[in-house]
Amino acid sequence: MRERSETIVEVDSIVTRFGEQTVHDGVSFKLQRGTLTALIGGSGTGKSVLLREIIGLQRPTGGRIRLLGTDVWQDSEEKLNAMRRRFGMMFQDGALFSSMTVSQNVAVPLVEHARVPPALLDPLIKLRLAQAGLGADAAEKMPSELSGGMRKRAAIARALALEPEVLFLDEPTSGLDPTTARTFDKLVRSLVDDLGITVFLATHDLDTLLTVVDRIIVLGAGKVLADGSIEEILSVDNEWIQSYFSVRTMVDRHGESVS
Amino acid sequence: MPQDAERDEGVAPNAVFAAQGAGVATLRLTGAWRLASIERIVAQLEALQWPEKFAIDGSELTEIDSAGALALLNYVDAHSRSQPQLTGFEPNELRIVEQVRARLDAARTPTEHHRERMLEGIGRRTIEVGHSVLGHVNLLGAAVIGIGHSILHPHTVRMRELTAQFEQVCLNAIPVVALVTLLIGVVIAYLLGLQAEQFGANIFVVDGVGIGATREFAPIIVAVIVAGRSGAAFTAQLGSMRLTEETDAIRTLGLSPLDVLVLPRVIALMIAMPLLVFVGDVMSLVGAMLIAQPMLDITPTTFVARLRDTLDISHPLVGLAKAPVFALVIAVIGCRMGMSVERDTRAVGMATTSTVVQSIVSVILLDAAFAVFFQEIGV
Repeated sequence: MRERSETIVEVDSIVTRFGEQTVHDGVSFKLQRGTLTALIGGSGTGKSVLLREIIGLQRPTGGRIRLLGTDVWQDSEEKLNAMRRRFGMMFQDGALFSSMTVSQNVAVPLVEHARVPPALLDPLIKLRLAQAGLGADAAEKMPSELSGGMRKRAAIARALALEPEVLFLDEPTSGLDPTTARTFDKLVRSLVDDLGITVFLATHDLDTLLTVVDRIIVLGAGKVLADGSIEEILSVDNEWIQSYFSVRTMVDRHGESVS
Repeated sequence: MPQDAERDEGVAPNAVFAAQGAGVATLRLTGAWRLASIERIVAQLEALQWPEKFAIDGSELTEIDSAGALALLNYVDAHSRSQPQLTGFEPNELRIVEQVRARLDAARTPTEHHRERMLEGIGRRTIEVGHSVLGHVNLLGAAVIGIGHSILHPHTVRMRELTAQFEQVCLNAIPVVALVTLLIGVVIAYLLGLQAEQFGANIFVVDGVGIGATREFAPIIVAVIVAGRSGAAFTAQLGSMRLTEETDAIRTLGLSPLDVLVLPRVIALMIAMPLLVFVGDVMSLVGAMLIAQPMLDITPTTFVARLRDTLDISHPLVGLAKAPVFALVIAVIGCRMGMSVERDTRAVGMATTSTVVQSIVSVILLDAAFAVFFQEIGV
């Protein structure tokens, strides 16, 4: 088998300040290949900011980030561009190009970065849409004609286009109804299990955390408050973590079970 | 960075048929079957001589992704009726192949493109333009009634919005209006001067510039600047407010978007425009005066004296009278395009462009109508 490093993302003592306000004050963790990891934390703890720093959109005040063996804030632009083809990012509202149809959106990375023979391009786009759980009827729609859930699926399809090794999702289930959110969870899980993609997501969705995630990283007060499996997180003695998950325990008392 | 290149491409993918004893050929896959080398994969598959019946051996495969699997299955299905046996694949590779196989039907669904016929397109656009014009006229009526109401009941005017808009559309526009009309004055005087010099009729340049600038050029130039500056701004402001549902919030709070958003803009622009045209009149005459001395030997004193003798007050008045009408049309088009924008980020940009085009065309059409009108009444 091809030699592959096991650490995909390495976040090393990241500090982020906006003026007087300190968002991250020494955040460190590593992500392993083939895992589904969630980043949680209250509003304003800098989850999205950390995601943006990892993928190279926003420069942290201090610290180091390595993504797929590349130092995101040190290495040459050439090296970064090669690395950018190996990860995918789904933004919170999809960030689909509004002047293009869904299939044209998915085609952008394929046409720009992969020399796909013309005869294979359309089947490949449809395959990506199917992998994201979208039917072929959605292919020719404009993003403005899609529902929230479909827009997120289309965004995943575009992020999957080059079959990345790692996929970043910012709030993948926000704004979705619970049923759609659960199918979305299954979709994300299948990306990890079937395609071997490493997934890192920022979320607020307790069900996602309790059902499909391998590992949870809790951000708070500018640091990593807790890091581990759901059981490990639940046993951490921290006020915010306890109150965050207590909502769920209250529901459980009324007879629902944690799966 | 050869190491990186190799990472990206992997070991070159290959597919060859190895003849087997028992009459069943084996398609042996080697290397990395990844999207990065999809061209080579397809070329390899294309070049193969496919036997009737074969098995596929993946034991020398370093990896396969879903794009590679899709290409493989496309060729396999085209050349084999039955599903060939897959041997030697790693479990994760097998999962990827199976995942792609399960979605093959979806991947092969052809896309139906709806191509609009020319006649259909003309019809659709005509109806769209009709609706659009009707909407403009509708808002124009509402705005005129609103202005009438504001004049009869001045206390209902939203002074805070009105002054804020006035600052935007008038005070902030003065520098650009002044600069552009100054240069226009210079250019007109220069062109007239070239002709007039030949006949020794230098002094008539003052007459020409006086009439041309105050009656036509200043109002039109100012209207074009205002259309590009304020009309476009109105559309962008109201359009993005619609995107964020702010206009809906205004409605649910029991307020009327017409009163809160449209009227302050329309009234502010109708007050601002004559003032801007006045600035334009003065600056274009100043421009003409600046070039008159070096080029035509007309001193500023002579220039002003000549203006006072020959420029009838009716010319600047005609120019100033047109200004509020231009303003009303530009403001109504700008607001209406913003209010009717679809809730889609792309639509705001297109509506803004459309506002500028519609406003400028309307202003020039109106100006032509005014020319005929003033000709008929003899002003």
